[in-house]
Amino acid sequence: MPKEPIDPAGIAWSRVSPKYITVRLIGWAAATLVGTAVLSVPLVLTLSGIWPAFPLWLAWLLPALELAVALWRGALIPRQTRAIGYAERDDDLLIRGGIFFQRVMVVPYGRMQYVDVAVGPLERAFGLASIKLHTASPATIAALPGLPEAEAARLREQLSARGQARLAGL
Amino acid sequence: MSIPEPLSGTGAGPDGASGTLAPDPAGTWHRVHPVSPFVRGWIALAAIAYFFGRDWFEGFFRGEPVWAVADGRLGWTAAALGVVLVLLVGGYVLSWWFTRYQITGDHVRVNSGILFRQHRQARLDRVQAIDIVQPLLARIFALAELKFEVADAGESAVRLAYLPLADAQRLRAAILAHAAGIRLDPAKPEEAPEAPEQQVLAVPGGRVAGAALLSGTTVFLVLAVAAAAVLAWLADTPAAMAVLLPTLFGTAAGYWGFFSTAYNFRAAISPDGIRLRYGLLETRAQTVPPGRVQAVSVSQPPLWRAKGWYRMRVNVAGYGAGGENAAARTTLLPVGTRQDVMQILALVLPDPGTPDPLAVFGAGLAGSGSGAGFRTSPRRARWLSPLSFRRNGYAATGTALLARSGALWRELAVVPHERTQSIALHQGPLARRLGLADLRLHTTVGPVDPRVRQLDTAAARLLFDEQAARAAAARRIAVPERWLEQRPGSGPATDTGPAIAVNDAQDEKDEQLEQDHGRG
Repeated sequence: MPKEPIDPAGIAWSRVSPKYITVRLIGWAAATLVGTAVLSVPLVLTLSGIWPAFPLWLAWLLPALELAVALWRGALIPRQTRAIGYAERDDDLLIRGGIFFQRVMVVPYGRMQYVDVAVGPLERAFGLASIKLHTASPATIAALPGLPEAEAARLREQLSARGQARLAGL
Repeated sequence: MSIPEPLSGTGAGPDGASGTLAPDPAGTWHRVHPVSPFVRGWIALAAIAYFFGRDWFEGFFRGEPVWAVADGRLGWTAAALGVVLVLLVGGYVLSWWFTRYQITGDHVRVNSGILFRQHRQARLDRVQAIDIVQPLLARIFALAELKFEVADAGESAVRLAYLPLADAQRLRAAILAHAAGIRLDPAKPEEAPEAPEQQVLAVPGGRVAGAALLSGTTVFLVLAVAAAAVLAWLADTPAAMAVLLPTLFGTAAGYWGFFSTAYNFRAAISPDGIRLRYGLLETRAQTVPPGRVQAVSVSQPPLWRAKGWYRMRVNVAGYGAGGENAAARTTLLPVGTRQDVMQILALVLPDPGTPDPLAVFGAGLAGSGSGAGFRTSPRRARWLSPLSFRRNGYAATGTALLARSGALWRELAVVPHERTQSIALHQGPLARRLGLADLRLHTTVGPVDPRVRQLDTAAARLLFDEQAARAAAARRIAVPERWLEQRPGSGPATDTGPAIAVNDAQDEKDEQLEQDHGRG
């Protein structure tokens, strides 16, 4: 992975599981299918003569636009997933994400209020889990999706233990 | 600036103490004042009085006999009125009877609810802020509501409405004494007096009115009037000016909202923290204990610049963002001069962490360019912020990070290092092209959103690392939650003494404060 300009120096990022790309692609495919089907309704109605007044070009344009945007977003999913990274340091956890709008965040262990581990049906099928850290600030959006279950459990225990050791109130 | 006289005890001296200061024994519970439900529910009673009174009143003026039983209607009306009143008053009395509270050594407990009982207990040392609120009607009865906030940004943890004002003040003193970790003399537990306080500043009424007139509301009003005038001229019907009516109501409400909350604003310092008092009809006294301020912002709308006025807002966990009166409660100073701002900053940030705080914070308020330790955006940032690129920047003192931004709407955000929750670097596609990055400090819910805008990428990365290290170091030596508890080594007690020397009498003031601390 090429080093991005805002990444702190000397950090070896841990990446999320490559299987998470598949999970997201499945979700993306389902959403695209439903979206395209809904936006194709005027086209079907126009072609079958039920709603002839509807402009034909618009009827074609709607699903075509949707499909184009969806394909673009689908093409980004592998890169987006590979851009997610985390690194455990002595005092804090680093999390990075994003390709166009990049973000690198540092969450001190002592600031964590609680840690969530969530598993959806699709993630469970692939043996993955999501972990989310909460501090007293709602702006701390520290989510790590698509971790292997064992790694998620290890990280949760590790974060809780370190949070205990460095507890700092508010 | 003269030395403020220490206020004499505000109605809750030790002479009036009645045992409330001692921790309550396990079985002892108190009730709020019996009038409370009526003070809270007076709107319902007023509505009923209006609803039934109107008929009677109209009949009276039509010359009808007042108590005539015409076709039996009065009987039914009276019966309905009676039933509604009995239900309402019965509900009030029951809710009063079932609401009980207790202060123990470590907790405040409140039981409430008639059918659905609620038992709530909050740890005293988790207190983030205490408010004493007096709506107009409560003021008439000399009652007050006590609000106890913990860090959950939602509703108040404990609301005791209403207590006699003196009791509320005594309770506040007791809670703060317990929360501060003062060891009471077991023989005479009621001798923990309310922490002595010194008034630091008072905002004159004329300035409040002037600030309201120079606020954004006025700009909006002028624009709206101009737009309506143009519209009326184009349409050639003066009646088009009528569209202004809702705007006028809106701006009047805006002026009133500012004036009624900023009126008679006073700030004071006591060993228990910062005291803010304000209000025209509804008065509020807020106490923010030391170390509870998460972030402060000082801002200046463009029209205030001529007068040199500033507004200060604060993030305190427990005040929240929405909710009733959040805008007023998070206001640390509705309108003040530069000297007022420096004084308040000295209260919330007792140790500025720099030998020349006036220069550093002054540059943060109104300066631009790199002076007084500020690092600003590089010149290429002008493509993104053509006006404010010289002002956008940061300075780090030993205890806090200052984030400066805005050329027209000047703003300075101050975050103590030990209050930083997490830090994030952001970079969008345009900023990456220009080699710029934003740094955001995450703090608790509130009006202050500290961010350092458009730094050079390398400088931003450096600040990110440094700030993480500074925050970690500051956390290790942070003031304990029980702020007056004696710790071995450095006593944290002097932390509440203002350290920015604003006036010559500062030394005397510090001495005074240290004497005050001696009560532990």
